Amino acid sequence: MRDALSDALVSMASRNPRFVLLTGDHGYALFDVFRAKFPDQFINAGVAEQNMIGMAAGLARRGFKPCVYGLAAFIPVRTLEQIKLDVAHEGLPVIFLGDGAGLVYSHLGSSHQSTEDIACLRAIPSIEILSPADRHEMTACMAYAESSEAPVYIRIGKADLGDIHAGPLPSLSVGNLVLIHEGREDHAAIIATGAMVKSALEIGQALHLSVWSAPFLKPLSQADVISAAQGSRGLIVLEEHSVLGGLGAAVAEVTSTHCPLRILRIGVEDRFSLGCGDYGYLLSEHGIDKASVLEKVRGFCGLVSE
Amino acid sequence: MRFDPVSVRRKVLEMAYSGGTVHIACAFSIVELLTVLYRNHLRFPGNDPDSPGRDYLLLSKGHGVMAQYACLHELGWLSDQQLQNYFRNGTDLKGLSDAHVRGLEVSSGSLGHGFSIGVGISLGLKRQGAHQKVFIVVGDGELNEGPNWEAALFAAHHQLDNLMLVVDVNGFQAMGKTDEVMSLGDLPAKLAAFGFETACVDGHDEHSIDQAIRSLWATGSGRPKALLATTVKGKGVSFMESDNRWHYTRLDEPTFQQAMASLTALRA
Repeated sequence: MRDALSDALVSMASRNPRFVLLTGDHGYALFDVFRAKFPDQFINAGVAEQNMIGMAAGLARRGFKPCVYGLAAFIPVRTLEQIKLDVAHEGLPVIFLGDGAGLVYSHLGSSHQSTEDIACLRAIPSIEILSPADRHEMTACMAYAESSEAPVYIRIGKADLGDIHAGPLPSLSVGNLVLIHEGREDHAAIIATGAMVKSALEIGQALHLSVWSAPFLKPLSQADVISAAQGSRGLIVLEEHSVLGGLGAAVAEVTSTHCPLRILRIGVEDRFSLGCGDYGYLLSEHGIDKASVLEKVRGFCGLVSE
Repeated sequence: MRFDPVSVRRKVLEMAYSGGTVHIACAFSIVELLTVLYRNHLRFPGNDPDSPGRDYLLLSKGHGVMAQYACLHELGWLSDQQLQNYFRNGTDLKGLSDAHVRGLEVSSGSLGHGFSIGVGISLGLKRQGAHQKVFIVVGDGELNEGPNWEAALFAAHHQLDNLMLVVDVNGFQAMGKTDEVMSLGDLPAKLAAFGFETACVDGHDEHSIDQAIRSLWATGSGRPKALLATTVKGKGVSFMESDNRWHYTRLDEPTFQQAMASLTALRA
């Protein structure tokens, strides 16, 4: 997935001399190829993220296509107001890459974890939020961001979980959910995003549930959410993010208006991580490892089939 | 294109009175600075504030926006009606700077944004081989905000000598004197230490401002520039000068008339 990201950055820079990559002193090895090939299109803005976002806005005003990279804890969370006012308010076509989203930096603690970034950005008008699940979605998301005239945030979670899709995706349609497993009609269905799609797929296959991947978190196609809801006995939404304000909330906002049904929102409950540990440990601490999710999904399926 | 500070202040008073708004003193401290910049320095090809070939003036201290509205009106880019409707429901001129208004470059008032955006524009111009200039007007109180100092580091490191930071050193911020709230210390020395070419000037002396700007550009040293303009908050109306209540106070009929008379006396 990181190779797909690197490849996309390199090809965007080669196609557009006004494509500039800015980083706040992060992404050491990720940009090796980019830096070697396009040193003039690479700017290390130093450990100064707020200034970096303002500068990206200034560059965009001069016709550049800035792509700002940082850890999701900083881009967007630390720099939320700069993103709101300098970029989104003016509708500038800046790409934001938030790496290590969710619990990826498990050992490092809450400063580097990011389970609030989606909620923070969703309420800011004009910005689009993407969340790729594997390298193929990453490639498609980057292609979308390249052509978008709006600001785009790409949320990059755990990147080494393997493929979801068998091959490259056709270009993404704005807001669409992607059906990745067709289950039985009278069962619940799962909508998942980012690093959680892998577990969702395996559980869906085991329990005969339809599974949808959500590469778009905003905008989110109302028609697709309604379609997923209407074909099922209930929805399970799975994300490596707070259960407040993320994909689960976005889905519930649509269904509560158009097709009320039971929804189980699985994610990080409203608390910080407690202990140190590896990624797998942190997932289980928050009850979003595959075994815990399976148990919750089973319970929900029992509830909705009664 | 020959407007003067008295006409700019008069327009500010009319806007503030008809709109029933505050921040009069914040606008008055930068009147000479903006007047000299618009009249003598900023180039707008085709008299078009949106021209890609323009020089940039970013008013980062959005609280002074009435002074900028008045200048834009002098230049013919804002209409009489727009000024008369200032602050009214459903109109376009807000109480703080908004980049959606033609002629304004940044949405500010939340402080510490304009410098970074200006640095990005300045870097973009350099990379495009364009010779336009970028002026960023900040307040001294605004320099409490951290991103200004991030921007200063970056501007010096990347030798953005097409950029001039103009500091309105009026000595006040919202709650009191800057020296009492959080002292900036020796600001010229600080900016020089960051790598800026600096000049200090009386921010109400048009000739000195003009000369200082010319001298700073002439240094051409690969260093960004900083003009430190000592000003008086509320300058131009005797009873407003250095009285921080005029950050917040609205004009009523008597104070409006008194202020207008004070300006007339200034011109005479």
